[in-house]
Amino acid sequence: MPPMAKVLITSARVISGSILLAIAAPALAEGVPAGTLIENTASATYDAGGGEETIDSNTVVLRVDELLDVAVASLDPGPIPATTGDAVLTFSVTNTGNGPEAYFLTANPAQAGNDFDPTVDGIAVDTNGNGVYDPGVDEILVGPETTAILDPDQILTVFVLLSVPAAAVDLDQADVDLLAEAVTGTGTPGTTFAGQGENGGDAVVGPNGADDNAIGTIIVGITTVDLVKSASVLDPFGGTTVVPGSVITYTIAATVTGSGSVNGLLITDPIPADTTYVASSLALDGSALTDAADADAGEASDAAGISVDIGTAAGGTDYSVTFDVSVD
Amino acid sequence: MKTGRIFGIFAVAAALVSSPVSAQAEQQAMVISGDVKVVKTVTADDGTEQTELADTSVVVPGDKLLFRNNYRNQSTEPVENFKLTNPLSSAVVFAEDNDPALEVSVDGGSTWAALAELTVTNEDGTTRAAQAGDVTHLRWTLKMIQPGETGQVTFNAFVR
Repeated sequence: MPPMAKVLITSARVISGSILLAIAAPALAEGVPAGTLIENTASATYDAGGGEETIDSNTVVLRVDELLDVAVASLDPGPIPATTGDAVLTFSVTNTGNGPEAYFLTANPAQAGNDFDPTVDGIAVDTNGNGVYDPGVDEILVGPETTAILDPDQILTVFVLLSVPAAAVDLDQADVDLLAEAVTGTGTPGTTFAGQGENGGDAVVGPNGADDNAIGTIIVGITTVDLVKSASVLDPFGGTTVVPGSVITYTIAATVTGSGSVNGLLITDPIPADTTYVASSLALDGSALTDAADADAGEASDAAGISVDIGTAAGGTDYSVTFDVSVD
Repeated sequence: MKTGRIFGIFAVAAALVSSPVSAQAEQQAMVISGDVKVVKTVTADDGTEQTELADTSVVVPGDKLLFRNNYRNQSTEPVENFKLTNPLSSAVVFAEDNDPALEVSVDGGSTWAALAELTVTNEDGTTRAAQAGDVTHLRWTLKMIQPGETGQVTFNAFVR
């Protein structure tokens, strides 16, 4: 009977699960590619009776199998403002496994708590890589919507194309869920698909179940502008009759309503026939604007009329443009 | 049942069987045979965590591996100053829960010490304490192994 085996270094115990995770988690980000062979050979030198000898152990070879996993995240900074019509949500799909893998994509607009359910018109990939959906350039996937094969750690930008129904009202919100599932298969972590990994190895479902989802949100911001024009008259005699020499003061009140904002709000008005613009009478909210086309928002002339460029106007704001004409 | 991935073991076993006793004069005094297992942490019904050793039919990044080297003095004479060296595959990272006294190298086998005593030189010339991820080689030293004596040395590593 041989002497008792001597175990010099026993298998160290797992002190706690958190230590295991702490080491295992970062290893995934730069995971060994699927199909890699890990070889281990020990060697030893020693003094035997006949002098120093060197020996090698056998070589142990094991192949790293393919880990299937994916991470989906919304790339939108917050709810995407939308009006009735089209809206686009942007997501990233990252291959967090260690082998090349494609993913089925499913966009689900029927989410609990939605004020309305938008219609999914399609799922597109960011073909030109600029992060913005470009109609006619970025490829719209055909069903079943499936990404190209992504290399490990490769990130794909995906657009979910939506239609907002006409019934949606201001401030309505809707969530849309994007789900990505490994084409090879999904399941509880550790589920094995024999022979379906790289280089003939197995494919194994990773810690996230080889699928992931993320929510994107749209918020309806319908903003309208109402213009009301009024006039007051001062005749040369202190009355309000319209006679040659009377001065008519026009007021254009712009009321912006809604939760969003409007861009490029430009208020223009021609000078009525048989009247003459009173130089330097143009004002916005009581502050005078010069007649010349210059740095301030306004310009005015007899021929071209008045023009006030307010630009972006948020809902809930009011503007008042006034100018005078004299009756010829 | 999955095909085992330990290819080398069988070759060595075959070689041992075919070695005739008459070759005793040329036969090396020591023999090392290694294997590797996957260390699975399983949670029992009572919530406690236990480890199990599984074969390497399925190995993925993040898995914990147990490398084992079995040595045996197959000669009739004692062997002295036995140094067993195990280079670490670049595909695995030395586990932090190995015996802190284990002699390791972080420079490809040039210098040896316990991990806590080693330093690594950064690209900018500064130095820092070596970490488990820096280990490139492991070494065990035994003063004497008696004829017929066997033993085992092991270490843990994670698949990167």
